[in-house]
Amino acid sequence: MNAFPVRRFSVALLSAALLTFFSAVAGAQSASSLQQMSQNPNDWVMPGANYSVTRYSALDQINASNVKNLHVAWTMSTGTLRGQEGQPLVVGNMMYFESSYPNYVYAVDLNNVGKIVWKSNISQDSFAETVACCDVVNRGVAYADGMIFANLLDGRIYAFDARTGKVKWSARNADPKIGQTMTMAPLVIHDEVLTGVSGAEYGVRGYLTAYNIQTGKQMWRAYSEGPDSDLLFTPGKTIDAATGKPVGAGSSLKSWKGDQWKLGGGTTWGWYSYDPKLNLVYYGTGNPGTWNPTARPGDNKWSMSIIARNPDTGQAAWAYQMTPHDGWDYDGVNESILTDTTIDGKTIPTLTHFDRNGYAYVLNRANGHLLAANSFIPNLNWASKIDLKTGRPVVNPDKMTKEGVNVKGICPGSQGGKDQQPASYDPNTKLFYTGTNYICEDYQAFAAKYKAGFPYVGAIVRMFRPDNGNIGGRFIAFDHVTGKTKWAINDQYQDWSGALTTKGSLAFYGTLTGWFRAVDINSGKILWQFKAPSGIVGNPITYMHDGKQYVAILTGVGGWGAIGLSNGLTKATAGLGAVNATAALGDFTNLGGTLLVFSLGDNAIPDANMPSQQPVTKAGNSTGPSAAAVAGAH
Amino acid sequence: MKYRWLLASITAMGLLAGTMGARAEGTLRVCSDPAYLPYSNRAGEGFENAAAKVVADALHDKLEYVWYDTRSKGGFEQFLAQTLDKNKCDVVMSLPYGSREEQTTNPWYVSSYVFVFKKSKGYDIKSLDSPVLHKLKIGFESETPIETGLQLRGMVTTATPFDVADTPGESPRTVLQAVQDGKVDVMITWQPSVGAFLKDYPDLEVVMVPNEREMGPPEQYTFPMAMGVRENDKALLDQLNDVIKAHQDELTKVLQQHGVRYSGSPSGNPSPGVTGTP
Repeated sequence: MNAFPVRRFSVALLSAALLTFFSAVAGAQSASSLQQMSQNPNDWVMPGANYSVTRYSALDQINASNVKNLHVAWTMSTGTLRGQEGQPLVVGNMMYFESSYPNYVYAVDLNNVGKIVWKSNISQDSFAETVACCDVVNRGVAYADGMIFANLLDGRIYAFDARTGKVKWSARNADPKIGQTMTMAPLVIHDEVLTGVSGAEYGVRGYLTAYNIQTGKQMWRAYSEGPDSDLLFTPGKTIDAATGKPVGAGSSLKSWKGDQWKLGGGTTWGWYSYDPKLNLVYYGTGNPGTWNPTARPGDNKWSMSIIARNPDTGQAAWAYQMTPHDGWDYDGVNESILTDTTIDGKTIPTLTHFDRNGYAYVLNRANGHLLAANSFIPNLNWASKIDLKTGRPVVNPDKMTKEGVNVKGICPGSQGGKDQQPASYDPNTKLFYTGTNYICEDYQAFAAKYKAGFPYVGAIVRMFRPDNGNIGGRFIAFDHVTGKTKWAINDQYQDWSGALTTKGSLAFYGTLTGWFRAVDINSGKILWQFKAPSGIVGNPITYMHDGKQYVAILTGVGGWGAIGLSNGLTKATAGLGAVNATAALGDFTNLGGTLLVFSLGDNAIPDANMPSQQPVTKAGNSTGPSAAAVAGAH
Repeated sequence: MKYRWLLASITAMGLLAGTMGARAEGTLRVCSDPAYLPYSNRAGEGFENAAAKVVADALHDKLEYVWYDTRSKGGFEQFLAQTLDKNKCDVVMSLPYGSREEQTTNPWYVSSYVFVFKKSKGYDIKSLDSPVLHKLKIGFESETPIETGLQLRGMVTTATPFDVADTPGESPRTVLQAVQDGKVDVMITWQPSVGAFLKDYPDLEVVMVPNEREMGPPEQYTFPMAMGVRENDKALLDQLNDVIKAHQDELTKVLQQHGVRYSGSPSGNPSPGVTGTP
């Protein structure tokens, strides 16, 4: 039996869906087929492998004993230089992936390696590039019903015919003119594609939007702040998970001064997950609108929160705010991984969320009830603990940022104990595996600054690697219940890539300096590594094609983790203060997007890729070798 | 962090050796933008060029420029990183007083963000809370306190952002032209960025944006401006402070000649009445 609890629910889902949503039979079927497809380990049909976003594969052809023989099978340029924070999808014999801005989408034929079946190249509003806060990254595409869904940086979502690349529809979800951009990967549930928005740095009020996958029609939109009707909260029913009671009327409005919620932030640019049995989608919201906390008294709800919603109506079942009244830019957007967890002998359907604020939260995903919150970084100091009774952090007042004060040595820094780099869950070891950041910061919330010719007031942030500066990131194996780190690999810079675990007792991840690694899942021993052409901020995946297992990774350094290198910034305080943390990264790696695909054994080239070796006939009046013979072997 | 410590220790060693870390004797090396009037240009026509000459003369130093674009990729921070921080030059002429990016001298001018509109319109504008603003097409320089002020009042989405400070080669004059041409009814920008061009636009009215805290958080639109030196360059800092004290009248004259208007005295006491048309 498959070790994944959620995968048992597909039959129940189908019948429930048919009963409940009889008017949308086609949609329900497509969702259930997507759910079924994600159980086939030969494919990788969703960004996080499955709706639970475990990034675990049941493939074990590549395993701890033979991984030392892993080598490059084939590679492909993304055609772009900036950060690749996504992953390819594999559906049957096709692979799909999206590059960083200008967001080329590629469909590649795995039967005919190197054959680009189609490539999208949609011209974008170049203004988007100037408002994207943290490099012009992209986190990947979604697949459903023979379509590929892709977000563009300039705020549009596109549906392509997966076979031909023909545009089926597009919709404007965000507007760069008011600071909105899109970098995240969409998620398809039933007959809707869900997507979010970036840009809290500009006071963008975050929202989650559902579009019909066939028509592109907007079905609902739920804001992170504002009146209950904007939130899609039912005051008497939607649960505040911190108290276990209904949120009551005006739960967001009450937590802001005046109209400040209109610039509430709480953008929705992370990874989404879905529980078909509970029919709830889970996502996180980002930082409140302005970085200066003194200027926005209150809890600033529902920024910095995990929200669970019915994907068909958008109505919220519960919400849990990790960091009320944020003073550190600890966006709550990181992924919520759905597993079963046994606590005190009871098995509970849980959601585990490694937050930017350095705590790993374990919640009952049915009602949001907080079960555990342990720090997963060794030097967290902004709070002493998360009070399990109140659900709130016990904040260390010395590390609270405030107007006019230079608060030094806050750990973790704004990039968090972990940013968006997605973790993986191995159901065999029952541990989580994730790249983390080992970064602290000094933060002055209200300081005079200058942009060429124009003075202003802003936050001066200076991130740095603590201790002697030799360690900037750690790849860890973590027990979410006990809070114990089983093992850790110390790296020079933030470990900004996602993680993959496999039944072959392996964990894969990459470093900012470009080392792609396979690690023994039990001991943390590095069994194999490969120096990629560029640093890695993408997420490894694995798939099976023609009986052979492959591991694929998008390399191409960038993102907030390496913004100094990707944007050519050198001032320590540039890039929201991140540049200092990665000084000298350019001595170890270079920009450039490349897809790398690895496999075991001899590098057998499919016949379709072999050139003809027949002599050329004179009739063709050929001027060179018979390269033309390669074509047409599809 | 580490970088700063490194600099500090190099300086300490330099002091022992008696040479390193200090600027070249007899030369004032100014980090400057070669093409950003009214601030500076290669021909020395900007108000910062003129002020640099006053300072160099007062120090009996030769004036030398190190040119670097302040508006190319990475903007002003990158300019500082590539010039002052790399010890290629010793002073930048304008930095807001108290900036932690570098060490700042005492202020040598104080100015303010201003509303610019056609005199003939006679708008009743006294602050960002003036009701008439809700009916007008507003232009503003993006990523300034004005943007935040408009955000706080829910007015930013209908206003037009201008981005002179991130567009190499673009003259700040364009924002005055936008008012003249009726593209916007009122432009809100930093007075020193347009002061030198206002003489060509006699039909435009200029009104200072007052500091306030009507919305709760303090809103600062008036800034004392200083010169900037490297964090460890105490010797030059002292010299520049002496020059500013002794030669403030000359510096003030330079500013007036270039159309930069005070909103207060360099001691930092804003006096709104002083701002006006050139």
